[in-house]
Formats: sequence, C-alpha cells, structure tokens
Amino acid sequence: MSLAINYIANSLLILCLVTSIIQSRFLFRIQNYNLLSLSQISAIQFLSILVSFVILIFLFITSDFNFDLVYFHSHSEKPLIYKLSGVWGNHEGSMLLWILILVLFNFLFSLSRSSSQKFKEITVAVQSLMIFGFVLFLLVLSNPFNINNENFNDGLGLNPILQDPLLAIHPPILYIGYVGFSLIFSLSITGLLTSEVDKKWATIAKPWVFAAWSFLTAGIALGSYWAYYELGWGGYWFWDPVENASLMPWLSATALIHCVVVLQRKNTMQSWTMVLAILTFSLSLAGTFLVRSGVLNSVHTFASDPGRGLFILIFLFIILSSSFLLFALKSEKIDKPFSHNISSRNTGIMVNNWLLISILIVVFLGTMYPLATDLLYNQSLTVGPQYYAMSITPIIILFLFFMILSPQLSWGESKLLKILNEMRYILVSCLTITFLTTLYYDLFNITEILIILLSLILIMSSLSSGLNFKSTKVIVKSNFGQSMAHAGFGIFMLAVVSNAVYSQEKIYDAKVGSKLQLDEYIFDFKNIEQEEKVNFNSIKAYLSLSKSGKDLGEFTPEIRFYSDPPTITSETSIIHQFFSDVYVVMNVPQNQESISLRLHIKPFMNILWLGVVMIILGGIITVILNRNNYRENEIN
Amino acid sequence: MTDTVKKRLIKFLVSLIIFGIAILIIVYNLRDNIVYFYSPSEIIENNQTGSQIVRLGGLVESESVISDGDSIFHFKITDGQEQISVKYQGILPNLFAEEKGVVVEGIYMNDGRFIANKVLAKHDENYMPPEVIKSLKETGKWQE
Repeated sequence: MSLAINYIANSLLILCLVTSIIQSRFLFRIQNYNLLSLSQISAIQFLSILVSFVILIFLFITSDFNFDLVYFHSHSEKPLIYKLSGVWGNHEGSMLLWILILVLFNFLFSLSRSSSQKFKEITVAVQSLMIFGFVLFLLVLSNPFNINNENFNDGLGLNPILQDPLLAIHPPILYIGYVGFSLIFSLSITGLLTSEVDKKWATIAKPWVFAAWSFLTAGIALGSYWAYYELGWGGYWFWDPVENASLMPWLSATALIHCVVVLQRKNTMQSWTMVLAILTFSLSLAGTFLVRSGVLNSVHTFASDPGRGLFILIFLFIILSSSFLLFALKSEKIDKPFSHNISSRNTGIMVNNWLLISILIVVFLGTMYPLATDLLYNQSLTVGPQYYAMSITPIIILFLFFMILSPQLSWGESKLLKILNEMRYILVSCLTITFLTTLYYDLFNITEILIILLSLILIMSSLSSGLNFKSTKVIVKSNFGQSMAHAGFGIFMLAVVSNAVYSQEKIYDAKVGSKLQLDEYIFDFKNIEQEEKVNFNSIKAYLSLSKSGKDLGEFTPEIRFYSDPPTITSETSIIHQFFSDVYVVMNVPQNQESISLRLHIKPFMNILWLGVVMIILGGIITVILNRNNYRENEIN
Repeated sequence: MTDTVKKRLIKFLVSLIIFGIAILIIVYNLRDNIVYFYSPSEIIENNQTGSQIVRLGGLVESESVISDGDSIFHFKITDGQEQISVKYQGILPNLFAEEKGVVVEGIYMNDGRFIANKVLAKHDENYMPPEVIKSLKETGKWQE
C-alpha cells in the first residue's frame, strides 16, 4: 500500500516536471505543439501538485509511519489541526507547499485575460522553468514521499512550540506572499525579453503585486503576533535574523508597489521597477531558504543539510546573474525619455523608495555582519536591537514626512504653498493635539514628539484624501486602499512609539494568596492547579486582575510539559483592554512555596495591530477596486 | 565633455557622496551596538571587564545553581577549562538546566563575577547554541 502511494506521488511529481518542460517551450520559440492549450497544461501542472499535496495531508492524518516524513514530524496522539500543520512544519513538506503555490499562481495567470497571448506564453514559460527547477530539487534532494522498511508504532512528534493555531496558518500565508513575487519576477523577465515595460505592463502586474504584498504583510504580522503571545518576552519584534529575512523582501516589495503605480500613471521609472521586482523575488527566495537551510539559526530551522543549502545558493545565483544580465542588456531599451518636475508626486515616491532601500541596507548589514565576522575572523557576536532603533528612527522621520507630502502633490506640478494652505486645518489640529499630549505626559524626547506629530498628520490627511465628505454622504474614492494603508501606517507608528515609551514590567516571587501590584493594576494570585491533557501535562496559575476596585478578568498563565518530543513551554496569559494589554508569564516552579511571575503592561498593542490590519486591508482593497476599474474600462 | 555626460557625472557623484555618508553612519552605529560572544576561557584571557555588555556561553556547571529568593539566581558557566560565577535576577528560561548549554548577556565585573541581565531562551531541549558548540569543540569537551 505504502509503496503504491509512493509510486503514485512520485509519478505525479514527474508529470509536473514534464508538463513544465512543455510549458517552457515558448522561451525557445518552439510553437508547433498544439494538442492542449496553455491553460489546460497549466491546469495539469497545478492538479498534479495539488493531488500529491493532498496525498501528503492524507498520510499525516492517517499517521502512516511507513513514510519517513510522517514518522519524524508527527505523532498519533496529536490533535488533527497539528497533524495538518505538521505537513508544512518541516523542510520537505514546506517545499511541496511552496511549489503548490508556485503552480497555483502559474495556473491563475494562465487563465487571466489582461495580457496578450504572446506575453502570457512567455510569462508562463519563465514561471514553468522555475517550477521545473524546484520540482527537480524536491524529487532528488528532499522527497517528501520517502518510505522506510521499519514498522514504527508511533512518530517522533512536532516541536510543541509550533503547535499553535496561528502558526498553523502563518507559513501558508507567508508563502503566498513570497511565491506571489515569483510571478512578478516572471512578468519582469517577460517585459525585459519583449522590451515591453510600460503602462500596459504595469496594468497587468498591478493586481498581482498588491495581492502578493498583502499576503506577505499578513504573513509577517501573524508571525509577529505569534511571537508576542507565545515567546513570552513581551515584545512583538526582536530583530532576529529570521524576522529580518522576511522584513527585507517586504521593504523592497513596498517600494515596488509604489513604482508600479508610477509606471502605470506616468510611464516612467521602468528600469528601477525591474530592479525592485528582481530584488524582491531574490530576497524572498533567500528569505525562505537561508532560514530553512540553517545558515541563520532559529526555531524556524528544520534541517541543516549542506546539499540543500548549496542547491538554493546555486539557484539563487543563476536567477540573480541571468536576470541582471538580461537587465543590463535591455535597460537602455525600456527606459523612455521623460521630463521630471521636481515638485511632483513621482519625486516624493522616488525619495521614499530610496528611504525604504536605506532601511533595507540597515537591516541587511545588521543581519549579515555577524555571519561575516564569524566566517572571516572566527569571532561570534550579535548586533543589539539598539542598532536598528538608532539607525532606522531618523530614516522613519523623513519617511513619514514624504509619506504625508507625496499624496498631496499632483502627478504634474504642484505649488507647496497651496498644499500648506489646503492642509491648514489638519496641521493646526495635529499640532495642538501633540502639544497637549506632550504637556500631559511630560514627553521630552524630540524624536518621539516628532514621530507622534507626523503620524497624526499622516492619519488625518490620508483619511481625508480617501473619503469625500459631502453634507450627509461619505463617498469612498478610488484611492481608498492607499489612504487606508497610509492611515494604518500612521496608527502603527503612533502605537510603536507610545508602546516603547510606556511599557512596564516587573518580576515577582509570589505565593498563592498574595496580591501583586504593577502601576494601578492589582493582581490577586488565587490558585495553582495541575492538569493532564491529551498530549501534555500542565501547571496553571489563576490570577484575577482589578484596577481601582473594578474586576477586569482572570489570568491563566501555564507551563506545559510535552512528552513527544520532551519539551517545556510557557503559555502567556493576556487580558486585552482597549488601550493596553496586561500580560502575565509564569516560570517553571523552582520550589513548592513560591513561583516566579513576570507582569507586563503593554500599552497600545490593540492599536498597533489595528494599524497593521488597516495596512493589509489597504492592499486588498486596492486589488478589488483595481479589478472593478479594469472592468469598467473594458465596458467603456 | 558633453552636457548630458556632465550632468550624469554630477548626478553620479552626488549620489555616491550621499550613499557614502549613509553607509558611514550605519557602520558607526553598528560598531557601537555589537555584543561580542566569549567562552569562559576567552573572557578570562581577554580580561574583558568594565562597562561593555558581552555574551558569555557554555555549560551550566552541575550542582552550581543556587536560588536565594526574589528571583535571584547564582550559577557557574564552564567550558571545561575555566568557570565563571554568574548572578542573575529574573525569570530563567524553561530549558535552563544544569549541564545544559546556556548563553547569558551582561557585564563581566572586575572581581571576576558576571552580572547577567538576560539569560537567552531557546526552544528545543536538544538545541545547543552554535557558539557554545564552537567553544566546547575548542576545549575538546564536545561530544556528539
């Protein structure tokens, strides 16, 4: 039975390999094959991977330990959802998921009607060439369907820290983002090959870029939210190499979405857009695979197999060198002469592009420097979070300033005085609010005050530009997605700064029955209980929270002892209030009498996540509104 | 030199200067915020005392962990050759245990004690910080 499944799955993968070769024929100008249409072959590509993915899911659900992958990464007593997430909680399975999304995008694009047949053929061909490379890698170096001849009774389990509902969906969402940029990459290569990087190209690429960007943002946000409540350090971003690896493609993707808009409107910045598209996909590739290959050490690392790491490096090298070579040959041809006006929206977007790339360089140096010193001088070191804060803060202030200014500028020429005049109500009210806040909270730090002021102006000006207030009706304008995302970023920055300034933390050695205090909050430590669950044992503490006599709820921080594999995890307990989160972590008890508890007050966390959600929604809304506009244009 | 070439050259130089300054600021910042990692032998050899924050890693020596209430812990970190006494106030990570690998961050004092403000948490009981593996290999105490 297992052998039969192994044969079927491998044949499906080989089928995908063969169809990918057929699809890439357009690159070599072979046109005389017309048995099936482009989208039909793409459908076969997609279905072959989909079915093999479903088979893998089936193997995990039925706990078939004859398969190595299931044996090493699953356990019969695991809840169903974690059997499912175990499918991509390992190297081979996550590779298959990666390929599944790669073929899905290929299939969806082959169905789309926005581009000419020739353009579509070449794009699908480039995409299929990549699919070929990855499927070959999967078959040869990391086959998920390898079987063993032992009869294992049970599996080795999944790292308990990964047994979390959020973490079950974090990889797929992040991957849709990463892999989405593969299509943008293929579109760019096609644009360069055909020397057709223009308004039309931007119109085809726009929905895909925004969709991929939204998923990437959501994927990073989910990871960050998970770290916030699972790791129990009270923070949401640690400048960990792995987090940085996902932030870098996001920064260049954010620059890219703005360039695509400029390209669509003004038919300029062609070569810069191509550079960003190639850069974003390269960083996405490096992000996923360097993380997984073990070069950057962390919880995300599955297996350190030098062979795999080498393959990815070679693949990355081929993609980078060939695409930049193509770019060097073609960039002269795609750039159209264009007379710039210094006070136009393009300038603003260009400046912020440079600022985003500067942040990217800061993050890149901070991430790579320890690797370099380790390799060159055999000296281990880490880069402290202070480095990032100090380097990025001045860039962010400039960035906020241009983020406010650019949308106010027209695509042609604008007078700065006129803009100041139009914004006078917003400016005056924001200055007043900031001034009052500064007085009320005794803020002295000039950077903090500046960021708060600029964020407030950004929120108000963005909202007022995306909505049209007409006496009784509120009309949503076509740039609503943009204004939503920009306002979201303002809210996010406001929360980040306030959170950094007003967070509080205290550690107690507490006995049952004692009352603990932090700021105005009283924590009543009621009880400790031991419990036995299906796949772990736990010690739970019960505390109730009150503020000035008012009951606010109950905390149940917990320590879990897993047996497969043997691991201890802490579950934080958080009470979310509108303006601040109160957060309790408990320690493994060292003795019978008392227990160490760490209490945190984290202000503005809800607001911070609200900002992030608005940024993601902004991207999605842009995709939807863009679609509608496209339909209208077609009808007209 | 034609006008367009001149313009391009000026453009190029200006961006080179701006870019250069930016990189300088970043690298300067980077150097200020580096936390070096040492094994007990290295920290004694280099005599890294003073106000600079460093990381120290090795194995927690067996039967060296003492708790004196108020979440204050004393323990010794060893690399098989030298050992350093560490004082730490706070919550120890779940996987902190005697004879297991550990990395602490803090200040190495003149009297030879290490005052830690962080004990780094790792997630897997079999996980050993790569730096610790490296220093154990150097002293010949590493066992596969």
